[in-house]
Amino acid sequence: MTFMNTLRTAFNGIFSNLLRTTLTMLGLIIGVASVITTLALGNGARAAVAANFRFLGSDQIQIDQDVQLKNGQMQAQGKTLTYEDGLGLPQAAPLIDRVEMSVSGTVKLRYGRASEDQNFQGTDAGALLNVISQGKVQPVGWPASNPLTPAAFIGQGRFYTNTEVLDGDPVCVLGYQTAIDLFNGDNPIGATILVNRKQCEVIGVVTELEVVSVEDVLNSRPNDGVYLPISFAVANLFDTTPWVTIIAHVKDESKMEAAKAQVAAYLRQRHGITPGPDGTYADDFRMITKQDVLGAQEQSAATFSLLLTALAVVSLIVGGIGIMNVMLVSVSERTHEIGVRMAVGARGRDVVAQFLLEAILLSAGGGLLGVAVGVLTVPLAASLNQGVALLDPRSIPLAFTVSLVTGLVFGLYPAVRAAQLDPIEALRYE
Amino acid sequence: MKIIHTENLTRTFIVGSSKVNALCAVNLEVETGEFVALMGSSGCGKSTMMHLLGCLDTPTDGRYLLEGRDVSMLSKDERARVRNTRIGFIFQTFNLLPRLTALDNIALPLLYGRSHREAKRAAGEALERVGLALRSQHHPNELSGGERQRIAIARALVTNPALILADEPTGNLDSKTGGEIMQLLVELSFDRHTILMVTHDSKVAQYAGRILHMQDGAILQ
Repeated sequence: MTFMNTLRTAFNGIFSNLLRTTLTMLGLIIGVASVITTLALGNGARAAVAANFRFLGSDQIQIDQDVQLKNGQMQAQGKTLTYEDGLGLPQAAPLIDRVEMSVSGTVKLRYGRASEDQNFQGTDAGALLNVISQGKVQPVGWPASNPLTPAAFIGQGRFYTNTEVLDGDPVCVLGYQTAIDLFNGDNPIGATILVNRKQCEVIGVVTELEVVSVEDVLNSRPNDGVYLPISFAVANLFDTTPWVTIIAHVKDESKMEAAKAQVAAYLRQRHGITPGPDGTYADDFRMITKQDVLGAQEQSAATFSLLLTALAVVSLIVGGIGIMNVMLVSVSERTHEIGVRMAVGARGRDVVAQFLLEAILLSAGGGLLGVAVGVLTVPLAASLNQGVALLDPRSIPLAFTVSLVTGLVFGLYPAVRAAQLDPIEALRYE
Repeated sequence: MKIIHTENLTRTFIVGSSKVNALCAVNLEVETGEFVALMGSSGCGKSTMMHLLGCLDTPTDGRYLLEGRDVSMLSKDERARVRNTRIGFIFQTFNLLPRLTALDNIALPLLYGRSHREAKRAAGEALERVGLALRSQHHPNELSGGERQRIAIARALVTNPALILADEPTGNLDSKTGGEIMQLLVELSFDRHTILMVTHDSKVAQYAGRILHMQDGAILQ
């Protein structure tokens, strides 16, 4: 039988029972649509991770005080990670190029009659950018593809210099909203404000910022706050020695683990931490690298993808079994037809071709509809997943091909069974 | 020319542990254009004979030459090819495909080997030959028994076969319609079509030019 004639016959077979055809395809439609949606979720998660950390260098080790929640407050464990610890680090750890430090708390700001309580960040010049952005904000309307530069964050004036930080100069940079609240339209640059009764000159204002990811909208106010040189903050704004956050830049990214070991050795020596009986150290600080963060996020995204892919594969298999069932029923329903066809000259391969092509047409139809449903489901999935879903164009041919292969695999057995019928027996069958 | 020539054609079935000889060393010769009726009571072996002559089955022993070609040892696919091109079947229950139109039913054998358009054209001619040109787009369930059998006859004719095998062609028809169908078969044999008909009805057998009787798997001389 020529291919065109087989195709015609297979089409007739499918369209003669539309309800059954639709029900058969349903399994594959769901399977294919879930493959596409799944991959879109995984793809979106990866894109979100990349967006969150796009400005962060892979040469950094973040060092934090080890804290624990006690009586509803975060309390430092062991000795405090101090500004002085950070200052000595580049000299003590040869693999560390430089450090950026920050400290935070709340202060009362005053200008003329205006006054308000605000969070402050004490930073050195380099840390200012990281502290402002926290990895989750960007200037309003900043295109996601553009790399972020420090200059992009300056709205008015300038940020403080390293010299000003080392000298502990009384200067500050205001958040966009805080400047508006305090100065009510006046030019803040050059003005002197009171920070917990210490005089401080406003030298700059941060540009208006927006949060990058949706989940941070509710708990982040990126345009509030004041930024001060860390030395000034440590000396004037705390009753006791505050703990600081240190970002250490390594000289060579390939020696990250060795650099971490040098940092740990330096801090253990300064804090007097000795190994316990089992040889481990009860450190009072924690170190995180960007690779750690990215790795953890990538891994959870990969686990998530794997789980959903498994679900999708299961539904494709269920869809395939559905096709096999229907084709087997179809073969036994049409035994007499097969007998007639064989009597008038259909060979085994003609019968195989007819039933296999029917299965493939079913799976192709299910695949096409599934692609359509999947593409339409992606925005829905995105809205249910905080906007984290991005259609991966490669998933469309992938899912469609898998669907076709499913039809081929699960259609083969019924087709071969049909071809093995004895024409005399099949003709007798009613 | 001899259309059918069998030598000691034998077919044995194994039922459980015993052998049943459905056909024992049958010798039969049929010439071109002959109309032969094969009569016998049920169980005499005429169905088995029909299956062997129609290349639906292979003999246990003996030879079967169709148009001088030995077809008794052919493979499944080769037999399908012979059925497709050299043999036309007419059945008691018509065996039309209910989802196909009359024209498509007639074209069915030609679809296994020829283009769709060619098949449709030849099917149209065969439909005219059996006098049902106006019924081409009807489905079998919209046709009377006699009309269905005419469609089946057209399907048997459409490939221009060497041999038409008819198995109780009037068995499901009333006597008037049955007579018309037999008249059509007689006309076909006048047109040099070779017909072998199996029946147990002696009145129907009278239409044939030669009547053979079968009993216990053998043809009575």
